[in-house]
Amino acid sequence: MKNLTFYSCLFLSLLIANPVQAEAASEIRIGSKKFTESVILSEVITQHLQNNHISATHKDQLGGTRLLWKALVQGELDIYPDYTGTIIYEILQGEEISSDADIKAALARHGVSITAPLGFNNTYALGVTPSTARKYSLEKISDLRQYPELRFGFTNEFMDREDGWPSLRNHYQLPQTAVRGLDHDLAYKGLEAGSIDLIDLYSTDAEIAYYQLSILEDDESYFPDYRAVILYRTELIDHVPEIQAYLTQFGSIISETEMIKMNSDVKLEGRSEAEVAQSFLNIKFNTLSKIEVATRLDRLIATTSEHLFLVCLSLGAAILVAIPLGIWGSRNSALGQVILSIVGIIQTIPSLALLVFMIPLLGIGGPPALVALFLYSLLPIVRNTLSGLTGLSIDVQESARALGLPASARLRLIELPLAARSILAGIKTSAVINVGTATLGALIGAGGYGQPILTGIRLDDTGLILEGAIPAAVLALLVQWSFDFAERTFLSPGLQMKQESTS
Amino acid sequence: MIHLKGISKSFNGNEVIHDLSLEIPQGKTVVLIGPSGCGKSTLLRLMVGLLWPEKGNISLFQEDLSKANVEKLRQQVGFVLQDGGLFPHMTAVQNMRLMADYLQHDPIKTEHRIAELCDLTHISADLLKRYPSELSGGQVQRVALMRALMLDPQILFLDEPLGALDPLNRVSLQEEMKTIFSQLGKTVVLVTHDMGEAASLADLIVIMQDGYLLQYDTLSKLSSHPADPFVTEFINAQRKPWQQLEDQIK
Repeated sequence: MKNLTFYSCLFLSLLIANPVQAEAASEIRIGSKKFTESVILSEVITQHLQNNHISATHKDQLGGTRLLWKALVQGELDIYPDYTGTIIYEILQGEEISSDADIKAALARHGVSITAPLGFNNTYALGVTPSTARKYSLEKISDLRQYPELRFGFTNEFMDREDGWPSLRNHYQLPQTAVRGLDHDLAYKGLEAGSIDLIDLYSTDAEIAYYQLSILEDDESYFPDYRAVILYRTELIDHVPEIQAYLTQFGSIISETEMIKMNSDVKLEGRSEAEVAQSFLNIKFNTLSKIEVATRLDRLIATTSEHLFLVCLSLGAAILVAIPLGIWGSRNSALGQVILSIVGIIQTIPSLALLVFMIPLLGIGGPPALVALFLYSLLPIVRNTLSGLTGLSIDVQESARALGLPASARLRLIELPLAARSILAGIKTSAVINVGTATLGALIGAGGYGQPILTGIRLDDTGLILEGAIPAAVLALLVQWSFDFAERTFLSPGLQMKQESTS
Repeated sequence: MIHLKGISKSFNGNEVIHDLSLEIPQGKTVVLIGPSGCGKSTLLRLMVGLLWPEKGNISLFQEDLSKANVEKLRQQVGFVLQDGGLFPHMTAVQNMRLMADYLQHDPIKTEHRIAELCDLTHISADLLKRYPSELSGGQVQRVALMRALMLDPQILFLDEPLGALDPLNRVSLQEEMKTIFSQLGKTVVLVTHDMGEAASLADLIVIMQDGYLLQYDTLSKLSSHPADPFVTEFINAQRKPWQQLEDQIK
C-alpha cells in the first residue's frame, strides 16, 4: 500500500516535471500580467521577435507582479514588461534605490536585466466619476481627508503593495475605512454602478476617457514614476545574443497617447491584442506579423483538451494516493484523524495561494496547477474511503473474519466492494470540484476553460466569459452523470437494492 | 473437541467472563443460555478468536487457539450470526461459495456441495441467485447456515440464529435445525436466551449468569439437581405463562 502511494507520487512528479525542461531550451517565453496593457506589450515583444525569426511564445495573462517576477527569476519566463515604480516598490521592496543605476545593480543580483524605458509613464492615479467629483468638490487627493464616508475599491495588488493603499493612507492621512479589494476591470463597473466611489487607475487606461473619469491630483507627490520597461533574464543574451539589439529597439518607442490608443483599441473597440500589436509594429518597423486567428471552435478544442488534461491527470493521481491513505487511516482511528486533518488543512489553503506556492517548486503552466488540483482532490476521496470502511456493519466485518478470510482478502473481497458506493461518491465530489477549480489554472498559464473566462473579464466580453463558463458547467454535469452511470453499472445490484429499501 | 481453561475477559476494565472452564465433547449440541449480558455471546466469540481472553487458554481440535493459527482454524468451523451476517453485495450462492473459491476448491465439487446443502435445508437453487436484501429472514438464516456448512466443518457455532425471526418461522426452522444437526452429527455450540429452543435442540446446556458458569448439564439434571436457585428460577420463568394458561383452561 505504501509502495503504491510512493509510485503514484513518482509517476505524478515525472509526468509534470518533464514538459518544463523540454520547453526550456527551444522557445523564448514572454509573460504578461492579467491586464490589457501588459498583454499588448508582451504581444508586441513576441511578434517583434517572431518577425525577426526568433522562436518566441506569449504566456499571456498569468497573474500579478509577484507571480511574474518569481517565474522570471526561476527561469520559467525569459521576458516580461513591467514599470519602474513597481520594480522599486514591489519587486525590490526594502532595498535602497535612488537611481536607475541602483535598479540595474539590484536586478542584476537576481540575474535579471532591464531595458531603457519604452517611452510612456503609466502611473497609478485615483479616479472618481464626474458626479462624485462635483458632489464633494474633489480635485486633489488631499481633499479626500474631509469625506471619511467615501467607499474605495482598489485592485487587490494595490491593496497591499509597498507603494499601494497602506502607505498612501499614511502619506495623506486618509480616514476612509470602507476599502475593498477587487479586480481592476470589475472596479470600473462598480464605479459606474455606484457601489464604490473611488478606484485606483493606471493613467494609460482607456476607460478614463470612456467613462470621463476625474483624476485626483497627486498634490503631495506620493506616486513615483511608472515608466514601462522590459525585464529579461541576463543569461538569455548568452543563448540568443541578437535578442539584446531587438529589445533595445523598443527604447522610447511608445508615447503615452499611443499606449492609451492601443488600450482603447482592445478594450473599447474589441480588437484583439495580436491585431493591435501587429498594426503598431507595422507602423514602427514596417513589418507585418503573421497572426493566427483562432476560431471559436479551435479555442474550444484547445481549452477543452487543456482542461481535461488537468482534471484527468490530477484526479487520477489523487485516486491512486487517496484510497490507500483512506484504507490506512481506517485501520487506526488516531492515524485516521491525523490523515484527515492534514488533507483537510490542504483543502483550506486558498487555491490561488496554493498555485503561487507551487511556482518556486514547479514553475508556471501545467505542473503547478496539476499538483494543486491533485492536493485539492484528496480530501473528499480520503474522507469517503475512510468513512465507507469504518462505517461497515459489525455483523459483516465479524462474519468476514469468522469465515477465516485473511485481512488482505477481506479488504479486497468484502470491505472495499461494500465501501464502493461511498468511495465513488467521494471521487465524484472531487471530480466536480476539480472541474471548477481547474479554471483557476489559467492564472498561472495552465490554460483550460479559465483562459476565456479570464480574458472575458479583462475585456468585459460576456461572450468570451461564457465560452469558458458554459463548457465548464457542461463538463461538471457530464462528470456527474458519468459517475451516476458508473454507480449503476459497476456497483453490485445487492447494494443498490439495499439503498432503495432503506431510503 | 473444544476446551476452555480459566478464561477471563474484560471490556474497558470491566470483567465480563470470570475464570471460566468448559469442555465441549465431539458430536454433541451444547446450548449456552442465560439472561442478556450474562456473557454467552462473548464466550462464543472467544471460541473462534473474534475476541481474545486476558487470561486462560482455549483449544479447538486439541490445538491451542492463537493469532498465528486462528485463520486456519476458523476455516474448519462454521459460524452463523443472529442476522445471518451475509454480504449484501453478493448473491446467496456467491456468499456460500466465497471461501471455497478463495481456497481454490474444485468448482465441480463446490457445485455438488451446494446442491447437497439445498436438499438439506429445503432451499431451491433459484432462490440462491437472489441478493440477501431479496430474501426473507428465514431464508437469510438458511443461507447463512448453508454458508457455514459449505466446507463441511467439524464444529458449528451459532449466535442466536433464530433471534430475529417471527414465531412461526422460528418454530419451523428450529425443527429443521434439529433434524439437520442430528443428520450431520457435528459438534454444535448454540447461543440463545430461549429455554424452549434449548430444550428442543440441546444435548447439554450451559447456564450462565453475570459472567459465571452456574451449571453445565442435561436439561433433566438441571431440573432435578439445580446447582443454584437461579437455575430453577431461569428454567421456570419461561414456563410460567404457559402453566398459568393451562391452569386457567383446567
